[in-house]
Amino acid sequence: MAENSDFEPNIVAFLCNWCSYAGADLAGTSRIQYPSNVRVIRVMCSGRVNPLFVMNALQEGADGVLISGCHPGDCHYMHGNYYARRRFNLMRNFLEYLGVEPQRVRMSWVSASEGAKWKEVIEEVVNGVKEVGPMDQFKRRQLNW
Amino acid sequence: MVDVNKLREKAKEVVSRDDVRMLIGYRPGTYGFRARPAFVQGPDEVDELIFTPACVNNLASYIVLEEKLPVPRGEEPDLRKVAVMVKGCDSRALVQQMEEKAYDRERILVLGIPCTGVVDMAKVEARFPNVLERGEIALEGDKFVLSTGGGKEEVAKEELLADKCLRCRYPTPLVYDELLDAEVARFADDDYSDIVELEKRAGAEKWAYWEEKFSRCIRCYSCRNVCPMCYCEDCVLERLNPQWMRRSVDVSENTAYHISRAYHLAGRCIQCGECQRVCPVDIPLMELNRKFYKDVEELYDYEPGTNAENPPLLSTFKVDDREDFIL
Repeated sequence: MAENSDFEPNIVAFLCNWCSYAGADLAGTSRIQYPSNVRVIRVMCSGRVNPLFVMNALQEGADGVLISGCHPGDCHYMHGNYYARRRFNLMRNFLEYLGVEPQRVRMSWVSASEGAKWKEVIEEVVNGVKEVGPMDQFKRRQLNW
Repeated sequence: MVDVNKLREKAKEVVSRDDVRMLIGYRPGTYGFRARPAFVQGPDEVDELIFTPACVNNLASYIVLEEKLPVPRGEEPDLRKVAVMVKGCDSRALVQQMEEKAYDRERILVLGIPCTGVVDMAKVEARFPNVLERGEIALEGDKFVLSTGGGKEEVAKEELLADKCLRCRYPTPLVYDELLDAEVARFADDDYSDIVELEKRAGAEKWAYWEEKFSRCIRCYSCRNVCPMCYCEDCVLERLNPQWMRRSVDVSENTAYHISRAYHLAGRCIQCGECQRVCPVDIPLMELNRKFYKDVEELYDYEPGTNAENPPLLSTFKVDDREDFIL
């Protein structure tokens, strides 16, 4: 896909309430500048994120999806993030198998104190998606009757 | 191959038992070389039972598909066993269902059939088109003998064998109450060469391949209905609030459907190949399932349907699972 410098991707981020959401909040309160392409959806735990959410986001026009939770061992619900890790490892591999670039579905661990890491993660995700261009595989198309 | 008289004798003995409600087996189809499922309710019906290489259906599906009607007031539910004839691959479906606690082991009676491979009906029909009279397929040595009223023909085993049988790891049932024949040693193995070949392609090429396949889908849901592992009473495909998958037939929705169908079988698919067999538009569904099967084996060292004591893959975790993909 041709690199397009004007292309501003839409990234949907599913953040766990206890770590990543607070980490993103910390980035905001600390006035850390990070790309504004990300739309945050707060969930109670990364284990709450159903792979259907990811698929639906990609269908509805997201160019990339980020799932972020607590570091292993730090989950508020003991081990929700471990389940999420298994799920999305398989999901990522499968989407890659179908021809969806692996840069579009990312996962990260960001704790409540890692505002700076949040910035790095977002920059990495946005640059990755910019590289592969707009999502055009199975986005819903408007029908013209 | 199982001796048919022995099979009928055993079936008669089983359906005569007081604690058995019915037996699910195979009988000849109405035309051609086909066989179809038989639901035997009493000892007088066993004379049509057969087992030949034409018995492709996975009968494990019927155990979970049977509708559980509400019991009228004052009546007791019928808790008698259902007896079922299974090949090696079908028995793995039973193991996986029990692993998921779909029913108790006491509710079923398993007649295991050590299987030397079944035919692929598409391959048979390509070679012998428009056979309208009833025919029979038998295995003799390493050849299939196809006989109709008109004559006999011998075909090498590999030419008609179903793809799943060329990769079969468990020809002898893994769970059974009675085995109807001597155990069959493993005669094939799975090297995932077809999946590796697809994985190696470039991204755009992969999507072009799948887009063509998915655009053919007519959303008949045959693959879901025939699957022994798809037995949720409330299927996400039919849920309207929230509606995760729309019913329109286009590439986007079809892709969503095939992703979720395959994902729901991650760590559960036991490679019986029924979905691909029933697909009316020949979508290679096993290539989707086998990708998960391969990943699950490589990443988590887990093979579905081999041990009913295992916990289901996605409802467990290990602290040291792979996480090299995480930022």
